[in-house]
Amino acid sequence: MSDPLSAFHLAVSFSAFTDIDFWTSVGILAGTYAIFATGLQMNVGFTGIFNFGQVGFMAIGAYSMAILTAEHGVNFWLSLPISILIAIGFGLIIGLPSLRLRADYFAIATIAAAEAIRLVALNARDLTNGPQGIFGFDNSWNSVSDSIEEFIVDLGWTDVPSLFPLFLVTWVVAIVLIVGFSRIQRTPWGRVLRAIREDEDAARALGKNAFSYKLQSLAFAATTGALAGFVLALNLKFVVPDEFQPLVTFIGYVVLLLGGLANYWGVVVGSVILWTVLEGMRFVELPLSETKIAALRFMILGVVLIGLMAFRPQGAFGKREEMVLGD
Amino acid sequence: MTEPATAAAPAPAADTGARAIFEADGIVKRFGGIQAVDGATMSVGEASITALIGPNGAGKTTFFNLITGFYRPDGGRAVFAGREVQGRPPYMIARLGMVRTFQITKALSAMPVIDNMMLAAPNQPGERLRNVIFRPAASIRREREVREQALELLEVFNLAKLADQYAGTLSGGQRKLLELARALMTRPRFLLLDEPMAGINPTLGRRLLDHMQRLRAEDGVTFLFIEHDMEVVMNHADRVIVMAEGKVIADGEPHEVRADERVIDAYLGGAKVTPPGADGEGASE
Amino acid sequence: MEAGTLGAGQERSLGERLANLVNSVNDAPFGVKAAAGVLLLDLVLLLADRFPDSALEWVALVAIVAISIFALTALERRPALLAVVVLLNILAMLLMLHDLQSVSQRGINGLSLGAIYALGAVGLTLVYGILKLVNFAHGEFLTFGAYMAYLVNVTWGVPLIFGILFAIATTALLGVALEKLMWAPMRGRGAGMLQLVLMTIGLSFLLRYGIQFVWGTELRQLDVNVTDTVNFLDLRIGRTQLIVVVVGFVTLVATGLMLRMTLLGKRMRALSDDLELAEASGIDTSRVILWTWIFAAGLAGLAGVFAGAVTQLQPELGFELLLPIFAAVILGGIGNPFGALAAGVLLGIVIEWSTFFVTPGLKLAVGFVILIIVLIIRPEGILGRARTV
Repeated sequence: MSDPLSAFHLAVSFSAFTDIDFWTSVGILAGTYAIFATGLQMNVGFTGIFNFGQVGFMAIGAYSMAILTAEHGVNFWLSLPISILIAIGFGLIIGLPSLRLRADYFAIATIAAAEAIRLVALNARDLTNGPQGIFGFDNSWNSVSDSIEEFIVDLGWTDVPSLFPLFLVTWVVAIVLIVGFSRIQRTPWGRVLRAIREDEDAARALGKNAFSYKLQSLAFAATTGALAGFVLALNLKFVVPDEFQPLVTFIGYVVLLLGGLANYWGVVVGSVILWTVLEGMRFVELPLSETKIAALRFMILGVVLIGLMAFRPQGAFGKREEMVLGD
Repeated sequence: MTEPATAAAPAPAADTGARAIFEADGIVKRFGGIQAVDGATMSVGEASITALIGPNGAGKTTFFNLITGFYRPDGGRAVFAGREVQGRPPYMIARLGMVRTFQITKALSAMPVIDNMMLAAPNQPGERLRNVIFRPAASIRREREVREQALELLEVFNLAKLADQYAGTLSGGQRKLLELARALMTRPRFLLLDEPMAGINPTLGRRLLDHMQRLRAEDGVTFLFIEHDMEVVMNHADRVIVMAEGKVIADGEPHEVRADERVIDAYLGGAKVTPPGADGEGASE
Repeated sequence: MEAGTLGAGQERSLGERLANLVNSVNDAPFGVKAAAGVLLLDLVLLLADRFPDSALEWVALVAIVAISIFALTALERRPALLAVVVLLNILAMLLMLHDLQSVSQRGINGLSLGAIYALGAVGLTLVYGILKLVNFAHGEFLTFGAYMAYLVNVTWGVPLIFGILFAIATTALLGVALEKLMWAPMRGRGAGMLQLVLMTIGLSFLLRYGIQFVWGTELRQLDVNVTDTVNFLDLRIGRTQLIVVVVGFVTLVATGLMLRMTLLGKRMRALSDDLELAEASGIDTSRVILWTWIFAAGLAGLAGVFAGAVTQLQPELGFELLLPIFAAVILGGIGNPFGALAAGVLLGIVIEWSTFFVTPGLKLAVGFVILIIVLIIRPEGILGRARTV
């Protein structure tokens, strides 16, 4: 069951472009980032708050789950909602002082908060086991994964990739989240968020407590961050501080902008395109070392971000009249 | 902490005959070393249409910002319908029924006109998350009512056929009307309008004034509006308050104010009688 | 019409109550907030370290706290002096709890770290203030400078001093090239601030991983003597570290003088204060902007070489320094180069002193916590002027 294939450090040799194991793990990665960026979409695309600390919520979610399950013997399924609540708690702690700041200060404050979380994870060895990270929190998940696998085998597909159940669950979570967020966005509650994005003062003058709504929006982002953290942890089978670099948040922004702002389905489009292209590059035979290819991938990411912001500030598939970053 | 009203402060509004719905007493605001509002004292009678005039830099918009919670006053009291409002956050003041518009329109550009209107409606249970999840029907019911009211109001302001357009596509004058209509959606008791006539054509302006008269007559809504067009002020306000250099220098019926020496001095001292829409003060938001 | 009294009383959710609480904290007089903050700080220091164990120490503690609070409330309107009081308060607390030697030893380490922060921060704050550009790629300027020095110093085997000069020149050139290629055209199009922020993040990727593409991820060392130490009054100071501190501070003072005395420096500050006003008063702004980039990137290049010299080179070198540098910028008040210089040095010292209480791995987290606290109690920075934030 324990396949060492990890999405972030793929060290498997791919004989064919059609390798199903490989694309399953790419699919999990794309789904993780779709979940991750759904909350960013609510923040950036619908509330106009620039949360640069999303990876911090992912770290809190993953670590809380792992610590509760592996160190304190809490039931895995119970640890999930508790971890989400802890992530939301952190969202409130970070948001309460910083959400009333100017947008640029808020961006810097959130990235600093996320980095502080990572550094604590790296150094508080008693709690997090430091750079070695935490293992052994996924037994309950593994048995569920096995039953899903058996079920699929019973349906007649015999060589199911071992990560396929996680792939399914990830995308079910992503789709449920996106449908749910899209629906909630169409309610009067969601309308207030959009009003705040457009003009906070106008919303306040009409009797809306803008601060409270921004805090709620951040709490939603914390929730999706934590969920993405669970998927990441189950995928890697361990939780280490190094997975929670600020880079992850920035990739989330690339996903968001590729898919377009102010549309929840955009994060699916963005995530699938980004990861298909980035991972598909592995099949391009380049006379370069591993490190150079890895560097090249991120350089491309940088160019994409620069190009999008220079020429399409609403995102590649965004509607210009609904949400534009440039003004 | 309250600074005493200065000698220039006029007598309170007893002479209007009506009960005062709003009273400000010695409101002070300093920006750095500058006294932007310097002990402004006034009272506004219930169901009156009161104009607030004064030369550029008199502190009119700053005064609006202070009494609606957008700035925190450094001193003074503001009482609306028996409640102190100074220092309360804007949304709370708005929920009390004291609603303002802005000099530079704040149409929510990337939202349709109808959403701009429906946003403003009070008592929408669906604006709270737990109702959205647990009582969706109540929210939907209220949405239906609100949409009807919104369309009616849009009809009044000739905006009904633009209901589904993004507000950003509207002309400047239309945005001004939308902002006013949106403020009315909150069912206010006291409406503070910052240069409502600036930038809209005379026909629509007349319509707007008629509508103000009707709301006052039918629903008892009180209006306080900043205006530079003296013709509008003299013909449509039943009371005029004049500010200069952060203080209220005159207060009375239009014909009294027009004859007041201090008012003439203030305008001449302020170099010119300003044209509408050119007020540069307090635009720092 | 009862419409007016809508939900004023009944609608007070938890979020609203929390918001009101934060409001009332925000509205407290600044001196009171600062005094409360110092009390809290001293308490944290005691909890993290130890409580006084003799009567003398208790007397000293009470004296320190009393004098600090008195000074803070007296200096309410002088935030710069207030910062000095806080620093002296920490110093006094540390001296009470530890010996002079170890406090000054870490203080010296702090000075070299602080010099690097200050050199990075002064350019970042000018670019931030003048161009309203929150440059997340500024850290990569440091990395770039360090690798340029490596190229000259190690690859070509030329003495480091030429490496430093080469690093300053090439990084300045990079700054100018980016201004011409990216920032000037984007300004012309009236790009929004967050649009530009995301572009700088993209640029940061491109530069950092470009460097990784060329030089790989392995740790590299400049050709400097890292083991030699100088003994001075019982303190052991690394020779390289000493050079960094001396050259760093000479550069900082020169920078300060240049900003204060020269016409160019005055113009930079004028632009940072109010770009449009400066433009209207006939200053050739595009020329000043170009010089600002030369200046900002050049100093960042120097800071990068220093950072590389006291530690090691790797592609994340500058990015890891970026957040503390941002902290110095905000502490010093955005757009205020003198503030950035002072705050950079202060931050370096405080961060090194924090290792009395936390593991060295967490010292940066202490910097971030300081940043967040400053953002809460004084977003305009220690030396910044109050503006709407």
